[in-house]
This record gives sequence, structure tokens and C-alpha cells, in this order.
Amino acid sequence: MAGLLLTAVLASPWPRQWLEASMWRHMLLQFPLWMLAGALLCAVLPTRARSIISIWNSHGIAGLIWVGMVLSVLMVPRVLDLVLRDMAVEAVKCTALLLAGTLLRLSWGPAGLVLQCFFLGMLLPMMVVVGQLYIDSPLRLCNAYLLDDQERLGRWLIALAALLATTWLAHAAWLLVRRDEGAQLGKL
Amino acid sequence: MWRTTLLSMLMVLGGWASARWLTYDFQVWTDEGARRLEVALRPVKAPAVAVQGLEVSAQDLSTLLATGSGVTVVDFFYTHCQSVCLSLGSSFQQLQAALQADRAKGSAVPVRLLSISFDGTRDDPATLATYARGLHADPTLWNFIRVPDAAQQALLLQRLGIVVVPDGRGDYEHNAALLVFDAQGRMVRIFDLAEQQLALDYARNLAGKLQ
Repeated sequence: MAGLLLTAVLASPWPRQWLEASMWRHMLLQFPLWMLAGALLCAVLPTRARSIISIWNSHGIAGLIWVGMVLSVLMVPRVLDLVLRDMAVEAVKCTALLLAGTLLRLSWGPAGLVLQCFFLGMLLPMMVVVGQLYIDSPLRLCNAYLLDDQERLGRWLIALAALLATTWLAHAAWLLVRRDEGAQLGKL
Repeated sequence: MWRTTLLSMLMVLGGWASARWLTYDFQVWTDEGARRLEVALRPVKAPAVAVQGLEVSAQDLSTLLATGSGVTVVDFFYTHCQSVCLSLGSSFQQLQAALQADRAKGSAVPVRLLSISFDGTRDDPATLATYARGLHADPTLWNFIRVPDAAQQALLLQRLGIVVVPDGRGDYEHNAALLVFDAQGRMVRIFDLAEQQLALDYARNLAGKLQ
């Protein structure tokens, strides 16, 4: 229910225009919000659909690959300009992000710590490199956005990557410590 | 597990294919790069919008570009610009000097310069004339125009891929470049501001072939 509402809001012209009016809002607010909508919509999936998906998504590998591919392609500067001009590409982008949100939610648990680490190990360094490129570039990489906007996006991308890294590391450490304690208790 | 492997491989291929489409085979990463590449592959015809200038009798852009059956090097600017348009102006001054030298040597080819203002509200023909005088523009070689109708100007900018972004301080950012048009009014090449000599040589070459 919340997912449908969020999807409707994101798709309507006013919020869309506001989000896409600034480079950093476009990439760091709009993209995650579409993924969130996808994750919320996940709840309406019937059990049958979930089991079919899990057959094709063992250990969440396929799902994480989808998310990784989508986010990599969407970090190319050309996308931000193209979706402002071409509605078809905008529709594909939003659908891809929606699906990415759903698949991320379905794949995260089954992936386990090792696969999660591989996934983040690919995604987070890429975010940092792209962020640094956005900060360093003396030229505007997007025709529709200003240079200071671009630099702000770069800084926030790196900040977000750092935040995700620390959160996941803390969570993984806590899980491992708990498992160790459980194993110790089991031995007693 | 084989289903997951198959699906994963298909996704990777799909991602690779879309990245290739998006970046023209990993050649361009920005929309501006794509625009320049696309124009070289497929020239864009300028729409016949009505234009206005002081040394130019009111006519439409296509007729103006066809005058003298030559090649025109065009830039988009606005007179209040304190940044990139100033260097555009001095680039064009150097182009003009080169073309005048050609004429003096007797090896002139039909290449003209055209500066189009996209700030129609502030840049009326009188303002353009003052600006042109300031740059020592030779009206037989270098004209300044604007598109008086806002809707037609929007069409022109959109068709040629010019994106103007207000910077919140009364000025504009835009993807300034040197645009080369042939006598049929088609934009055939876009050169970067730093590629001034290349643009001149290309225009001369193209004009020479037309004779």
C-alpha cells in the first residue's frame, strides 16, 4: 500500500520535476526513493511468485547482479540529461530502479555475509570513484546542471558510500560476534 | 543453481549492451559528447525560424545560412555573459581575422560567422549592434542575430541540442561550442571551444569543396 502510494507520488509531474531539478537530488534522492518504492511493493508479491523468483535467484545472486548493473549504468552522466529529454528512457530508468528495490529486498537475506561483501565491495568503490570524478571535473558533465551541483553530488556520493560501508561493517561484526557467542554456548 | 547462473549471465550481457547503447560503444559518457557524435553521423537541419539583426534584413534562419552559398560557423551567446561567451567572442575575433587574411591574400572561401543570442528579452538589435561594434565585427563576415519569438527560439535550441540553465544569479550556463553549418542550413559538425583552429580548417575545407 505504502509502495503504491510512493510510486504514484514519484511518477507524478510536480515531485518528479522538483527531484530532477537538481543533480544531487536526481541521483541521491530520486534513485533511492524509487528503490524504496520497489522494496515496499515487494510486500504485495504472492508466495508463489516469491518461490519462483527464488528458484532463479539462488543465494540472491541474480538479484544483486541486477541491482549492481542498474546502479552502474545509471551513474553514467549521460543518463541524467537523457531522461530529462526522453520519456521512454525515463520510464525504463524508473522501472529498472523499482525492480532493483524489490530484488534487493528479496536477495539480501539469502545472500549471506560473503556475497553481501562482494556486492558492496563492487558498488561502494565505484560510488567513491564516480563521486571523486564529479568533484574533480572542471567541466560540466551534464548540460542540464550547474558545476557546483555536480561537486555537491560528488561529495554526497562519497559520504553515502562511507555511511553504507560503516553500517554494513558494524552489522556484520555484530552478527559474527553473536554467532561466535552462540557457538561458544553450544560447546558448553 | 544453473538457472541462477543463466539468468545472471543474461543480465550481465543485457547490462553490457545497454551501457554500449548509452555510451555509443564506450566513446561518450556525457550527453554533450553524444550530441557531438550524433551530429557528425547525421547532420541536423536548422528550423526555419524568423530572425532579427541590425545588418540582417528580417528573414528566417535557413535563408540566412544559405546566403553566399557558403559555410557558416555559429555560436550561441548572450551579451550579459561574463564568462564563457567572452572567450567565444575572442575566438570569433581570431576566426574573423583569419578569414580577412584569406580575403586579402585572394584565397577567400565562402565562410561566414554568425552569433545568435538566446537572451531575447535583453538582447534587442540595438544591444546586439553595440556588442558587435565592441568586438570590431565586420558585417560582411560576422553577423549578430536573435530569435524574437520565444516559442521559435525554444524550438531552435531544442532541435540543435542547446541547453540553457539559469544559474540563479541572472546569468546562464550553456553548452557553448562552435557549430558548423553548410549552405543547406544543416549543422554538420560541432567543435569544442578549444578546437578553434580545427573548426576553421574544417569550415574552409567544406566551403572549398562547394565551389
